[in-house]
Amino acid sequence: MMAKLGVYDLAVRYGKLTAISDLSLAVAEGERVFVSGPNGAGKSSLLSAIAGAVRAAHGRIEMDGEILSGLGAEAIARRGLSMVPEGRRIFPGLTVLENLSVGTGMRRDRSAVADDLETVFTAFPILRERARSAAGALSGGQQQMLAIARALMTNPKVMMVDEPSLGLAPKVVDEVYDRLCQLQALRGLTLVIVEQSSARAARVGGRMLLMRGGRIVADGDATEFAARDLLAEAYFGGAA
Amino acid sequence: MSLQLVFDALALGGIYAVAALGIALIFGVMRLVNFAHGQFIACAVFALIVPSTDALAVLGLGALPAPVLVPLILLIGAGLAVLAEALVFRPMRNASPVALMVGSFALGVALQNLLLALYGGRPKAVSLWAELGQPVQIASASVPLLQLIVIAAVAVILAGLALMLRKSRLGLEMRAAAEDFTMARMLGVRSNRVISGAFALSGGLAAVVALVLVAQTGVADVRMGGQIMLVAFIATVVGGMGSLSGAVAAGLGIGAASALLQAGLPADARPFRDAFLYGGVILVLLFRPQGLFAPVGAKPRV
Ligand SMILES: Nc1ncnc2c1ncn2[C@@H]1O[C@H](COP(=O)(O)OP(=O)(O)OP(=O)(O)O)[C@@H](O)[C@H]1O
Ligand SMILES: [Mg+2]
Repeated sequence: MMAKLGVYDLAVRYGKLTAISDLSLAVAEGERVFVSGPNGAGKSSLLSAIAGAVRAAHGRIEMDGEILSGLGAEAIARRGLSMVPEGRRIFPGLTVLENLSVGTGMRRDRSAVADDLETVFTAFPILRERARSAAGALSGGQQQMLAIARALMTNPKVMMVDEPSLGLAPKVVDEVYDRLCQLQALRGLTLVIVEQSSARAARVGGRMLLMRGGRIVADGDATEFAARDLLAEAYFGGAA
Repeated sequence: MSLQLVFDALALGGIYAVAALGIALIFGVMRLVNFAHGQFIACAVFALIVPSTDALAVLGLGALPAPVLVPLILLIGAGLAVLAEALVFRPMRNASPVALMVGSFALGVALQNLLLALYGGRPKAVSLWAELGQPVQIASASVPLLQLIVIAAVAVILAGLALMLRKSRLGLEMRAAAEDFTMARMLGVRSNRVISGAFALSGGLAAVVALVLVAQTGVADVRMGGQIMLVAFIATVVGGMGSLSGAVAAGLGIGAASALLQAGLPADARPFRDAFLYGGVILVLLFRPQGLFAPVGAKPRV
């Protein structure tokens, strides 16, 4: 079967520094894939390269068999790949509603846009409440919800979320993941999520990749990772 | 304070505000200080007259009735700016802000030389809408009709632009791009459309300034954009680079201060008006180096 998202021999460089090399990856339609690894492993670089925010030095990226690498970020977004980047990057001076509207300009299905707005407002009621306030005035958790909702408003086929749990209280993280999974089921989305905690990934469920030094060094079910990490913790008394 | 002074301050400040907006709009989306803006203004001025190096100016487009002339000159200003973007700045899209700025200088010099070749270097007398010079009595003040029209036009332009930025799709995309260009692109916003849009608006605003300058001074001079460009640039810095409302406020403020100083300074000190004015500007920047209204997304282009 053809992969929904395919990455072949990817390399990403920042000047002389190699962030990613020889990375290949296939994600099936509707799959949920967690990407983990230590700081600087290249997780964000992988997502940025797929989204076209940074240029790949080498390699090919495909979605539904169509080549994405070499296209600009806007063209990739228009083909149905959406990204919630590290740090959320909401537009602080725009209202919540305006943030949600930025990504709908490319859509032709006007009535579906209204339905989607209703869907994200139902999933995140706080966004409906704060629709007319400046996005910069939201709390961290609310901004994360806004960033996810904003990506969903583009009606993506594949969505990538970079560290949704960063800086959020565990209860808020639970809520964010609940909604994310709910929306994934509703839309048949393919999800790629950067998540450091294997325990969290195992609880949510899905496949997990471990990155180190710009390569994928392990690939399996999240529960296996969680079990292994638990074991390591028991033996060495710290996170692996 | 006399009523007359209020009108002087509003008219001068309004024109500075429109010129500053032309610079702030482009800086907002591209982090580019477009030093060719003054030459956009000069080009729109010379579009009024028939190209020739004769000392005597012959009105070409400038002879058209105002309802045709004004939109036409606005279109020419917008078209010139869009063309300049496509030919000069688009190939430099990934260049550093400094390289872009140097590019804008080069474009300015090129445009100025084009005007010199077509029209010669001497200032020319141009009589545009001379009938607007007649005074209108308002309470105690006798105000030239042109001044009233300028003030009204500036008010309409500011309100229209604010509405466009708040309510239209392009306005939304421009504001999003100004805060985080890459993020806007990752949401499918077309960079070419946003940047062309900003240049078109900026060029249209340059044309407005051009019409007002010609009508007020009765002169077409290749160098006439440079002076106002300087003031407008200072206004965008004082207002906070990239903040549109800041640019408007600072433009109005500098114009008003200039008019007030002109009227209020003792005759001996009047030649040093600009020294007082820019002394004030330096004071403001000492206390708020980021400008009065530094915008949220004023980090450099990614
Ligand atoms: N814009 C950039 N310019 C230069 N180097 C960069 C840039 N972004 C990332 N890097 C470098 O590339 C490497 C991979 O960084 P990346 O952000 O992809 O890692 P990460 O796995 O997302 O890390 P973290 O867990 O800290 O978010 C690091 O060595 C980093 O310093
Ligand atoms: Mg990262």
